[in-house]
Amino acid sequence: MSRRTARASLRVNPIACQAHGLCIELLPELVRADPWGYPLIRQGPVPEELLPLARRAVAACPTLALLLARDD
Amino acid sequence: MSILGAVAPPGAIVVNSATPLWYLTRATGLVALVLLTASMALGLLSSVRYQRPAWPRFVIVGLHRNLSLLALVFTGAHIATTLADSYAPIRLQDVLIPFISAYRPLWLGLGAIAFDLMIALTVTSLIRTRISYRSWHLVHWGSYVCWPVAVLHGLGTGSDTQVTWVLGLTIGCVALIAGLTGWRLAYGWPSYAFARLAGALAIVLTLVAGGAWLAAGPLRPGWARRSGTPPSLITGRNRAGAAALSQRQTTAGAAALSQRQTTAGAAALSQRQTTAGAAALNQGGSRATVALNRGGIRTTAAALLRQGR
Amino acid sequence: MSVAGARAAAGQALPPHRLPRLIPPEGPLALAEHLERYGPVPFSDAAAGPGRDTLISEVEQSGLTGRGGAGFPAGRKMRAVAQAGRRAGPLRSQVGTVVIANGAESEPGSTKDRMLLARAPHLVLDGIALAAEAVGATRAYLCLHETSDGVDRILSSAISSRERAGLNRLPIQVVMIGGGYVASQETSLVSFINGGAGKPAFVPPRPSDKGAHGRPTLVQNVETLAHLALIARYGPSWFRKVGGGAGSALVTFGGAVHRPGVYEIALGTPLSDLLRQAGGPTEAPQAIQAGGYFGGWIRYQDALDVPVSDPGLRAAGASLGPGILVLVPASACGLAETARVVGYLAEQSAGQCGPCFNGLPALADALWELAYGRADRDTLGWATRLLSLIARRGACHLPDGTAALAASTLRVFADELGRHTAAGPCNRVRRPGVLPVPGHPDVRA
Repeated sequence: MSRRTARASLRVNPIACQAHGLCIELLPELVRADPWGYPLIRQGPVPEELLPLARRAVAACPTLALLLARDD
Repeated sequence: MSILGAVAPPGAIVVNSATPLWYLTRATGLVALVLLTASMALGLLSSVRYQRPAWPRFVIVGLHRNLSLLALVFTGAHIATTLADSYAPIRLQDVLIPFISAYRPLWLGLGAIAFDLMIALTVTSLIRTRISYRSWHLVHWGSYVCWPVAVLHGLGTGSDTQVTWVLGLTIGCVALIAGLTGWRLAYGWPSYAFARLAGALAIVLTLVAGGAWLAAGPLRPGWARRSGTPPSLITGRNRAGAAALSQRQTTAGAAALSQRQTTAGAAALSQRQTTAGAAALNQGGSRATVALNRGGIRTTAAALLRQGR
Repeated sequence: MSVAGARAAAGQALPPHRLPRLIPPEGPLALAEHLERYGPVPFSDAAAGPGRDTLISEVEQSGLTGRGGAGFPAGRKMRAVAQAGRRAGPLRSQVGTVVIANGAESEPGSTKDRMLLARAPHLVLDGIALAAEAVGATRAYLCLHETSDGVDRILSSAISSRERAGLNRLPIQVVMIGGGYVASQETSLVSFINGGAGKPAFVPPRPSDKGAHGRPTLVQNVETLAHLALIARYGPSWFRKVGGGAGSALVTFGGAVHRPGVYEIALGTPLSDLLRQAGGPTEAPQAIQAGGYFGGWIRYQDALDVPVSDPGLRAAGASLGPGILVLVPASACGLAETARVVGYLAEQSAGQCGPCFNGLPALADALWELAYGRADRDTLGWATRLLSLIARRGACHLPDGTAALAASTLRVFADELGRHTAAGPCNRVRRPGVLPVPGHPDVRA
């Protein structure tokens, strides 16, 4: 039986986001840049193998705008 | 009784336990200044969104964080060696509370202020996920106060301000941060125009005032005394300097100098800076100057006196 | 015993079955006349009134949805605020919640809330008092737009007369809101009352969890509260008797009709009925713009059978929004109308979210090009790409709503667009605008 892991999704607080762009550099698998440098996040839950990288990107955001929210 | 109080035989080189710590204090202070400057520079580059293929944003931000911690470590070492060195009367409370020390109270106090700000900056950054972004940001603006205060502390307290490469390094750091701060002020113009212009004016005034103070203060003779160094230590430093230079002095002049200053210096130190001792010291000092001038060893005397600052 | 049954037993007048329900035809009612017509305010301790929890249940049963544009079920919102109030205090004790009545109406094409407040202030005030009791509120605010001159005087005097009659269990504070299009958004009002800038805030936390003064806050449109005041008296079954269960609603009908103004309709009424009530078109009609500036367009020939309700209008490619319909005549150009509106909406950005304050001006420029300039495939492609770039990427719905309006425009006026691409702007773009855009002089009221 597989261990049940919590699914989580990436969200950005658009008011806090100031387009520093670290998330786009650190997590290109899930975050792209729009024409103005703001993050475009791929919809859906974060794949399990990318969760540590996602957490790193969340910690790196200078304005704490990137959020990893549990899907519940 | 410290080794400083011992009477040295004429011509001997006196090495005391205070010397390595004193050099460490100065060295770690300089390294901390360079690291703090680097950290400040990277923070400013981050705020103007500087980015190159070799300098991704996450590197600039990550390096800024790591260098800040390193700067704190070296500042800690700088403080520890100062406290461990019983040469100058600096206590633990002088490190955290500004302007209460017996040694150069104003200039050391600036160091205390800078250190307090560094603690605030570091702690708030370590817990930034637990406090509001606004609170973190407000405290982080303290870096615009912390860095210049640290520089002033270095120039005012440090013994090496007149040393060419140290002065050059400090001026280089100031030029770098002034330039980057100007860039930071220009980024995003014309929003908050008034605040930006006020900031630019503040930079210019600070540079002008700082330069004027530097020229009239630390770079001129007698700074050690004017900045509030306890009088007993001024001669003591002469003594250590004299010991270092004694090899280059003529035997007669050196002997006369070291004897007079040894007596005066030892008397003052053993009496723990009583007024009488201080008077004797001052007398001894000026007599030494006169003697040296008469003896025609002006170059050496000038070098000695400079060491005393 | 149901409320209606209790009233019947008490010998009081039965409620109106037909319209109008909200706006008294004879004009504004003073407090005494209001109480005589509708009966006493059914607080939970009144003899025939429903209990506190019962009011929330009745509102849930009635299916009343918010009349401010979002259409969120009112009972569910009240339930959430009441529950949050029970949980929120220290040691899980009760904390006073807050009620905010939203009468700020910043949508340019809407006048129904001002009308309701001027003609039936006591119904709204009843609703605020009843909602406050139901959710355990200890503070109540009524937000009005600072340009609705005169309405605040009416409300202040109505509140005073209630105070003299001892009806104000909870003082209701009137708050004048400045600002533009996004200032009447739920979180904007909360921000303004908290002493902030009156701009939309990031959600979570929702106001129902943490809003004004950090407390669970119920934000409800004034028309919703007026309906609530009637449900509290007459019960949910009475409410559901019209509109196929959805009740009645106020609609602002504007544009090229003989009698533009506010109408109360049973939801689901065919648009042709409403058009007839409004006197029919003044000139050859082209399309209906429905749902305000987050809504869409319906070609006139497709619009006549459309039921005026949110599901009905959505099926036709638009929406109900805060109940706005505008008849745009054939003498206007749909592309130009939309370009002007999107230009206004771009100016109205609160400037907080990058995709919005960058994307909306870019979209406005692109639409302007399509309507007044060179309508080429590149511009159309860029405009279409912008629609997906900005949708759902702001803290409020300004980017999505604008994108929805623009998307509807490009779809419904595809033929027009083809003509612009082939031959440049038509001469109808110079016609004075029909859709109201504040601050632009060529607007017809």
